[in-house]
Amino acid sequence: MGILPDEIKPAMQGIFPSHVVTCSGDGIPNASSISQVYYVDADHVALSHQFFNKTTRNVRENPRALVWVINPETFETWDLEVEYDRSETEGPIFEVMDMQIEAIASMVGLKGIFKLRAADIYRVISATKNAAERPHP
Amino acid sequence: MHVGTRDAKLHPAHAFAAGAIVSEDRQTVTFLVAESVSGRILRDLRDNGRVAFTVGLVSHEAYQLKGTYASSRPADEQELALQEAYLAKLAAAARQVFPEEFATALIRAIPYRPSVAITFRVEEVFLQTPGPGAGSKLA
Amino acid sequence: MPPNDPTPDEGALPGLREQIAQNQQTIDRLNRDLAKKSNEVRIIQQISSEITSTLDLDEVLVIVLRALERVLGFQYSMVLLKDLAEAKLRVFASRGYEPSGVGAELGFGQGILGVVAERKRMMRIGNIGASIAYLASIRARMEAAGDITPGGAAAPLPGLAKAQSQLALPLLVKDRLVGVLSVESPKANAFDELDEIVLTIVANQAATAIDNARTYQMVEKLSRLKRFFSPQLAELIVTGGADDPLKTHRRDVTVVFLDLRGFTAFAETAEPEEVMSVLREYHAEMGRLILEHEGTLERFTGDGMMIFFNDPTPVADPAKRAVRMALAMRERVTPLCERWRKRGHELDLGIGIAEGYATIGAIGFEGRWDYGAIGTVTNLAARLCGEAKPSQILISRRVASDAEDLVETEPVGPLVLKGLAKPVPAFNVVGLKR
Repeated sequence: MGILPDEIKPAMQGIFPSHVVTCSGDGIPNASSISQVYYVDADHVALSHQFFNKTTRNVRENPRALVWVINPETFETWDLEVEYDRSETEGPIFEVMDMQIEAIASMVGLKGIFKLRAADIYRVISATKNAAERPHP
Repeated sequence: MHVGTRDAKLHPAHAFAAGAIVSEDRQTVTFLVAESVSGRILRDLRDNGRVAFTVGLVSHEAYQLKGTYASSRPADEQELALQEAYLAKLAAAARQVFPEEFATALIRAIPYRPSVAITFRVEEVFLQTPGPGAGSKLA
Repeated sequence: MPPNDPTPDEGALPGLREQIAQNQQTIDRLNRDLAKKSNEVRIIQQISSEITSTLDLDEVLVIVLRALERVLGFQYSMVLLKDLAEAKLRVFASRGYEPSGVGAELGFGQGILGVVAERKRMMRIGNIGASIAYLASIRARMEAAGDITPGGAAAPLPGLAKAQSQLALPLLVKDRLVGVLSVESPKANAFDELDEIVLTIVANQAATAIDNARTYQMVEKLSRLKRFFSPQLAELIVTGGADDPLKTHRRDVTVVFLDLRGFTAFAETAEPEEVMSVLREYHAEMGRLILEHEGTLERFTGDGMMIFFNDPTPVADPAKRAVRMALAMRERVTPLCERWRKRGHELDLGIGIAEGYATIGAIGFEGRWDYGAIGTVTNLAARLCGEAKPSQILISRRVASDAEDLVETEPVGPLVLKGLAKPVPAFNVVGLKR
């Protein structure tokens, strides 16, 4: 289907933190910042799953989430409606994320301590660029 | 600062807030959202009242507040000034990490005027700083 | 631009043709979709023919990095090669860095380059600063919470201090890691998928050319070393399992000198074919024993030979080894001498053995290097050999003491020897102790 346009890719490089809003099965929203949303293909994104937290617990009860990313070149922000699809502990997506985390962890002395537990894959339902009203000078 | 809500179908929504005020009795918080991005979250808040509100620093220190929607109205001049001050602080923080032109352009791109002031009653406070203790309830 | 075969050099390896054919498909796609990069693609074909036409490792590396900068616009680049023996990388060439960083090492799994080497997969990252800041703050909080001990921050790695973007690729030949190619930038998000494609093509070509150049280097060195050392030792040195022996160093060694008494007279009177035949037989037998006992043959001049033990690789009980070898040589030569006597030649073996420090390393000049040892110990061993009567093995006091448990000896000194200030106590080796 190809929902994510090429112009959103710079927003998925982890230059600025992104945010994800999830909602528990009993209706309590949770807002969390994430260091990087990974572009998988035009219909999927991945979030790194390091420890079991409110976000990972919520999407396993209620798969819908809202991912907010900002493009570091244009400063445009996007709202991505996504749905949790599956968790991967191996495969190409996991490997790309795992390699990056391993490399950076080894550079701050956290080698083997801070590890990727899984790559959570989400299906993209919609992608909306937020209208940015340029304020007065 | 970031706001999270959800609709009747439990579908989440998000909005960026460029400032917030804690009430004197520390029971409520009023955050400020640009009118252009406030539509959806206001709908959600009027539907079920549930709100999650996060505030974080460049140092990665972060907190999440959860509570129930109380009221909303257009932001007044004082609140707009507050937003400008917050954005200036954000620019200063960005300058520590990013080059000058970058930090300035970033802040200029964030919409904030006109704004809606949304108030909610704080019910829970959580530590959200990544690392040990993340997610633990503080109040 | 119509697809055309980039005509590889006639001497190009078969794998390269396949590679170029595959690359051609990728190149065609690039040309179709990305017109602005077609110039770079033409240049890559040019680079590939340049690097595959040389076997000089330094030349290959310079060509690759220069092209990366001048043509493809990568300001900071480096090539690291895998150490031949261990799981680590060493910077062999770089461009854009001050200081160059050449010679710096890092282990597999360390940092971006180390992880790329370990996993043999490319990595592109555009937010190094933000990522490090995020994990560093987590680390600080873990330290504060007592979850981990403070300190333990990793050692600085080769590359830009404030790099924000990096694209690193493994250099692979079939599935074997030859090294890593890396480009960096101080700007965030500096590299994209097109850069990945372009560098992958360059990396494939470079990997083969580098591997060939390195293999050539090794083979050259191996054949040079095989003149002095046993094949196993030569190979060990070339693959990095032993320190480079050609660098000058001092070592406590046991030196053995041997020669054939009566050889000079024999060489003057006998037929040349006869002399060569005796020499050949003698060398073959002695050579076999040297290899068996893992000695290092330093030189042989006609009938004279110098062998030493404990260098380039240390051995246990070098003195005992030397004495054992000497006894085995005497035993092997005895029937040979009988045979030669029957043919009318009076030849007999004399051996001298001494122990002590020598200065060892490459001696000679460009085009003619030898592995030499110099010191009092070599003089002493040579003089003892000179003093030895036919079939006698003369050893110094230190050797006698070290080989005490092994052999029966009788004192024959002290001897006044040329070049040695004081008379030297010496011992004759009678035979193995029962």
